[in-house]
Amino acid sequence: MQVFKLCMKIIRKNKAAMLVYVLVFLGIAILISRITAQHPVTSAFSTAKANVAFFTEENTPLVTGIKQELSKSSNFVKIEDNTEALQDALYFRQVTYIVRIPKGFTDKIMNGEKATLERTTVPDSVYGTYIDMKINRYLNMASLYVNSVPGISQEKLVSDLKDDMGKSALVTMTSAKKANDSEKPFTAYYFNFLAYVLPAVLIFGISIVMQIMNEKDRRSRTFCSPISPKSYNAQLIFSIGFLAVACWAVLILPCAVLDPSHFFQQSTWYLVLNSFVFLLASLGLGFLISIFVQGMSAVSALANICTLGPCFIAGVFVPQAFLGSTVLKVASFTPTYWFVKVNDTLASTTHFSYDVLSPVYGDILIELAFAAAFFAVGLAGSKRKRLET
Amino acid sequence: MFAHIFTNRLKCLVRNPITLFWTLIFPIVLGCFFNLSLRNVYGDETFSPIPVAVVNNETYQKDAAFQTALKSVSEGKDKIFTLTIATKEKAESLLADSKVAGILNDGTTIGMTVNHSDFNQSILQSFLDSYLQTSSAVSSIMSQNPAAYQKMAENLKDQTDYTKNVPIGNASPNGALTYFYTLIAMACLYGCFWGMQEVTDIQADMSQQAARINLVPVHKLKIFFSSLTAAFVINFSEILIFLAFLRYVLNVDFGPRTGFVILTSLVGCITGLSFGSFISAIVKSGEGLKTGICLAFTMTGCVLSGMMSQDILYTVRQNAPIIEFLNPVNLLTDSFYSLYYFTSLSRYWLNIGLLCAFIILFCTVTYLIIRRRKYASL
Repeated sequence: MQVFKLCMKIIRKNKAAMLVYVLVFLGIAILISRITAQHPVTSAFSTAKANVAFFTEENTPLVTGIKQELSKSSNFVKIEDNTEALQDALYFRQVTYIVRIPKGFTDKIMNGEKATLERTTVPDSVYGTYIDMKINRYLNMASLYVNSVPGISQEKLVSDLKDDMGKSALVTMTSAKKANDSEKPFTAYYFNFLAYVLPAVLIFGISIVMQIMNEKDRRSRTFCSPISPKSYNAQLIFSIGFLAVACWAVLILPCAVLDPSHFFQQSTWYLVLNSFVFLLASLGLGFLISIFVQGMSAVSALANICTLGPCFIAGVFVPQAFLGSTVLKVASFTPTYWFVKVNDTLASTTHFSYDVLSPVYGDILIELAFAAAFFAVGLAGSKRKRLET
Repeated sequence: MFAHIFTNRLKCLVRNPITLFWTLIFPIVLGCFFNLSLRNVYGDETFSPIPVAVVNNETYQKDAAFQTALKSVSEGKDKIFTLTIATKEKAESLLADSKVAGILNDGTTIGMTVNHSDFNQSILQSFLDSYLQTSSAVSSIMSQNPAAYQKMAENLKDQTDYTKNVPIGNASPNGALTYFYTLIAMACLYGCFWGMQEVTDIQADMSQQAARINLVPVHKLKIFFSSLTAAFVINFSEILIFLAFLRYVLNVDFGPRTGFVILTSLVGCITGLSFGSFISAIVKSGEGLKTGICLAFTMTGCVLSGMMSQDILYTVRQNAPIIEFLNPVNLLTDSFYSLYYFTSLSRYWLNIGLLCAFIILFCTVTYLIIRRRKYASL
C-alpha cells in the first residue's frame, strides 16, 4: 500500500488547499439553494400578474379607476422615478411595464379628444401585450360612455365602468397539469446544485494529488519500483476514491443540518444514492482530466467547462422544463443531465412505487455507465503515457 | 533589456500550448453552452400569437358577433390568436397535448377551458371578458341614453390604441446578456493564474528558476514588469478573441461603444493579473493553496455577480449593496452592462474607478512584498 500511503501524505500536506475548495463550493451551494428556494425560477413566468410601475401627473377619479382596474392584472412596484433606476428595474425584470399618465389626460378623455399615455415595456413581450390590452379596453369603454352619454360625470363614468369590468368569463380548469414547481424544498435544490459542486471539488482535489504523482521524475522513479502498474492504478484510484467519499460526506451533511424536516424523508435516501453514483461519475471525470492535463491553470480552465457547462444545459441553473428539446438532447451526453432528471423526478413524487422507481434506476445506471467510461478512458490514457515515457 | 526579457518570456508562455489552449477555449465553450440554454429561456418572454381551439358547434355557427370578434384578433400582422376550429374531442386532445393554450366556446355561454394558468391564458380570458364587459356597457348606456344606439355601433367598430411606447435609452433590456458579461469578467479574472505564475517564477524561495533569475544583475522590478507584460499580452489577446467570438458568432450585443468595451476588458485583464500576483506574493506556501485561493475568490465573485442565477444578484443588491462594490467580477460585469444599457457613463466610470483602485492596491502590496528580498540561503 505504498502508493496509497503516499497519496494520503500528499492529501495531508495539501489539506489547506483542499479545505479551501470544499468550503468555498459548500458556501456557493448553500447560497444558491437558499436564494433559489426563495425565488423559484418558475414564478417569473407563471404568475399572470405583471409587475407594473405606475406614475401619474394628475389625480382624478378616472386615473384612480384605471389604477384600480390594472390592480387586477398587475402588482404595483414602487420605484424611484429616475431614468437609471427605471432602466435597471426593467432590465432585471423588477418591473416589466412602466406607465405614465400625462397632465391633462383625463380632460382629453372626458372631452372625447385623442389622448395617449406613455408606457415603456420589455419590447415585444407578453407583459406588454397583456397590460396594453387591459389599458386600451378600459379607455375604449370610457370613450364609448363619453361619446354616447353626453354630459356624463367622471364619478358616474368610473362607477359604471367598475360595474362593467366586474363581468368575467367562466374559466374551467382541467386538472391534467398541476403546478408543482413552486413547492420544492431546500433539499431538492441543494441536491441539484451538487451537480455543480461535486465535480468542481473533485476535479480540483484529484488534480492536486495527481499533479504531484504525475511529475515526470517521480513517475519514472515509481515505475522503476517492483510495483505492477495494475496495483499502482488500483491504489491510486482507491485513494482518490477515499478523498471523494470524504468530500461527498462533508457536502451532504450540511443539508441535513439546514433542512432536517425534508432531509429525513424516504425520498432523500434515493437522492443520496443518486448523488453517490454521480460522485463516481465525477470521480471518473476528475481522474480522466488529471491524466490528460497538466498545470493548474489548464486544469481550472477545463474544470470550468466540465462543471459550469453541463449545469447550464442540463437543468441545474435553468430548470429542464425551460430548456428546448435540442438542448436537452445535447445535455443527455453528460452525466449531469441524468443526475438532475432523477432529482427532479424524485422531488415531484411522493409515492415510491415500482412504476416511478424503475425509470429512476435506469437513469442511475446510465450515470454508472458514464463513470465506467471515464475510468476506462482514463486508465487507457495512463497506460499510453507510461509507455511513452 | 525590456525587449529581451519580454520576448523570451513570451516564448516561454507560448510554448505551453496546453495551458494556452484551455485558457483560450474555456470561455468560448462556456459561451456556447450559455447561448444554448439562455436563448431559449429569454425567448420565452417574447409575445407570439397564442394558439387557441374553438369548438365548432351550433352555438358558434349561429353567433356571428362572436365569430367577427374572434376573426378581428386572429388576422393581420398584430394578431393575438391563431385559431383552430375543431370538434369538442379534437379540441380537448389538443389541449391535453398543450398544442393550444385553451378551448373557447366549451359549452358554457362565454367561457373557456384551460389546463394551467399563465400569461397566455390570462390574455385569452381577457379577450372573453372584453366581450362580456362591452355587452354590459352597451346595456348600461342604452338604459341611460337609448338614442345613442347608432353612434355606439360606430364607436365599437374603431378601437383606439391609447398607449404610446416611450423606450428608455437605446438598448433593449435583454437579461441574457449579463450572463455573457459575467463570463467575460470571469475570463479576465482567470488572468490571475498568469500573474500568479509570474510571481512564483521570480521569488527565489518559490521556484528554482526564480532563484537563478535572482542572480542576474538586472533590477528585479524590471524583470518582473517585463515578464508580467508578456503575460498580459497573452491574456489580453485571448480576451479579444473571446470578445470577437461573442460579438460575431454568438451575436452578443455590447452596445455602440466598442472602444470602451475594449478598455473595460483591458482593465479587467490587468485586475486579474495583479490579483494573481498579489495572492502569489502574500501566500507563501505551495501552488495548490494559491490556486485554491485564486479560484475561491473568482468563483465566489462570479456567483455573487449573478453568473448562476440573477436572483443572487438582486438579493445582494437589496441586502448588502457594499458587496457589489467590493467584488471585481461584479464591477466588470456592471461596466459592460452600463455600457450596453445606460446612456450616461457615470456608473461606468464609477466601476472602472473602483477597479483601478483594486489594481493599485494589489500592485502596491505585491511591490512591497517582492522588493529588496535577500536570502541567506535557499
